[in-house]
Amino acid sequence: MTLELRNIEKSFGAKQVLQGISLTAEGGQAFGVLGRNGAGKTTTIRILMDVFPPNSGEILLDGTPIDYHKVSLGYLPEERGLYPKKPIGQQLVYFAQLKGLKRSQAVSAVRRWLKRLGMEEYENKRLDTLSKGNQQKIQLITALAHNPDIIVLDEPFSGLDPVNAGLLKDVVKEQMEAGKIVLFSSHQMNYIEEFCQNIAILNQGKIAISGNLEQIKRSYPRDRLTVFSPQYREILSQFGSHCQLVQPGQLLLRLDRPDQKQQVMGELVSRYDVDRVQVYEPSLNDIFVEYAGDQV
Amino acid sequence: MRQFPTILSYELKNYFKNKVFVGSTLFIVAVLAVVMFLPNLMDFFGSMGSGQEDSTQQSVILVSAPSQELGEGIVQAFTTAFPDRSVTLTQDAIDQIKAQVSDGRADCAFVFDSLTSYTYYVLNRSLYDQTTQTANQVLVGLAQVEAMAQQGLTIDQASQILSLQIDAKEELLGVDQVQNYWYTYIMIMALYMVIMLYGQMVASHVATEKSSRAMELLITSASPVSMMFGKVLASCLAGFVQLAVIFGSALLFYQLNQDSWGGNNVMTSLFDMPPSLLVYMLVFFVLGFLLYAFLYGAIGSTATKLEDINTSVMPLTLLFIVAFCVVMFGLASGTVDNLAMLVCSFIPFTSPIAMFTRIAMSSVPPYQIALSIGLLAVSVVGIGVLSAKIYRVGVLLYGTPPKLGAILKTVWRA
Repeated sequence: MTLELRNIEKSFGAKQVLQGISLTAEGGQAFGVLGRNGAGKTTTIRILMDVFPPNSGEILLDGTPIDYHKVSLGYLPEERGLYPKKPIGQQLVYFAQLKGLKRSQAVSAVRRWLKRLGMEEYENKRLDTLSKGNQQKIQLITALAHNPDIIVLDEPFSGLDPVNAGLLKDVVKEQMEAGKIVLFSSHQMNYIEEFCQNIAILNQGKIAISGNLEQIKRSYPRDRLTVFSPQYREILSQFGSHCQLVQPGQLLLRLDRPDQKQQVMGELVSRYDVDRVQVYEPSLNDIFVEYAGDQV
Repeated sequence: MRQFPTILSYELKNYFKNKVFVGSTLFIVAVLAVVMFLPNLMDFFGSMGSGQEDSTQQSVILVSAPSQELGEGIVQAFTTAFPDRSVTLTQDAIDQIKAQVSDGRADCAFVFDSLTSYTYYVLNRSLYDQTTQTANQVLVGLAQVEAMAQQGLTIDQASQILSLQIDAKEELLGVDQVQNYWYTYIMIMALYMVIMLYGQMVASHVATEKSSRAMELLITSASPVSMMFGKVLASCLAGFVQLAVIFGSALLFYQLNQDSWGGNNVMTSLFDMPPSLLVYMLVFFVLGFLLYAFLYGAIGSTATKLEDINTSVMPLTLLFIVAFCVVMFGLASGTVDNLAMLVCSFIPFTSPIAMFTRIAMSSVPPYQIALSIGLLAVSVVGIGVLSAKIYRVGVLLYGTPPKLGAILKTVWRA
């Protein structure tokens, strides 16, 4: 299954929010949609969820325009919220029914998910009696109970403790293994790096960069070395302006050419007490700051 | 629209599970039961007390006259005119009479100078004190009889002349406003209250979903049209069920107590409403309710917080209050076919109550009724679709509620 957004444009009044968004997400993989606040992530997601139509552009599933009657989507919105005063089981069944399940199917799916997330005891409790993290898990059920083909998770990890975050990771991995398309939007870069093979960074309604995360990282010139050494002061004074202090004990060394790499590495190791030296690869954080951070 | 039945049944269940909704309905039914059983209850408690107690409780009218003969004549006439009070002739001086009235031994006192001149003493004059009017009538009668007797007529002849009766027959070709007044009044009140209460409820439900951000999920799960129609129809059904329960129980209680209420014009006219009027009531109730509920829902969707609702719905509420006032003035003055009512009975926002009032209180040509209902029905559909569009735009707007013009512009573009 391949989901493709092709040249999506959308404006609200005079403000053009999306200016030609194109991205491709594959089944069985997670796709990370990144961007600063107001970059157009939520609008892109809402267009995908058919809340409103784009001004132009199309959404294709396996090459044909998406048919919302046949494809089901699950959505975990960034702004969490259900009915605070209603029993949990009741409203989960309602949302699953809205997504097209029959009542009996909805009831059993909701029970199954409550059990999977360790929340069975809360079925008849009111939502507002739960902690934030537990409400988050309930919200997750609304996105998954109807067994959707495409899952959109907006900031899924915010507010979860490490144990629950681990549980959510397992759930997301299961969904990916089942061949679902998972769209991730988050500002927590470590989770994106862990899950997403492909990413797109939005900046002011445009795609600043998109593609395979590994390839993006490799596309950076491999002309920098990260050096971990207790003798960092000596190294710093030897290499002068080529060398930059990241933090005490860690240096970033810029080479004139990538092929100097082996020579400099050898020199460092033979001359100083070096704990570790490696070719510098940008983290997703660095890439994000580079592509989403400018034009402010 | 495939989610419509799900939404309808969920919203409806919410109403019927709502403790306030159920509680208030039962409370009204209980109040009705007490009111309708009141005559029987009063008889019941009345029969528990002894008759002796009654006579000691009975109020006393003191009569003082210059001559014994005149005094006895007046007392005799007063005894017939005030059957539930005890009329006593007294020879006491004025001061004593005043003292008796002041300390409550006597209810009031008439001190006569002649048959046509007296002073009335009473401690506290009640708002509805008819004693002097009744007394005056009696005294005028007595004086007239006496005057005729002086002209040579016998007492019998004189009283025959005075008690002449007019034999009048009435045949009704149209509508009896006197008879229809009460149930029209009650129906209009019911319509007004239900539309106001439920309209506000729809608005606040939508705003609550928005402020709790359940909307984020709802809007991606169901179409705005299904959501709007599901919500509004659920509230309409809930309102209808509530009215049916209240009026049904009132009718039942009336049937049980029919004998006791037999002499009461208001009650008999209320429950002898013609069935055709009930059908009109139903039609105008449903259409009027839907019209306003759609608008209330649309307004609710533009509010970010529940607190904004009150100010946002103000124009709509005012519109309805104006309609209500026009109809109430027309109804109270009896001129239900005046120009204002005629115009109001075709404007969709006012026609549900205005046209219903005209149908109930006068004879309206059928084509006017059909036109009014037709216009209303078309508006309901139009407003419903427009509201769903406003809803779609409104629910995703957060911040200060947008101006009406801005919303319509966005709806137009969408």
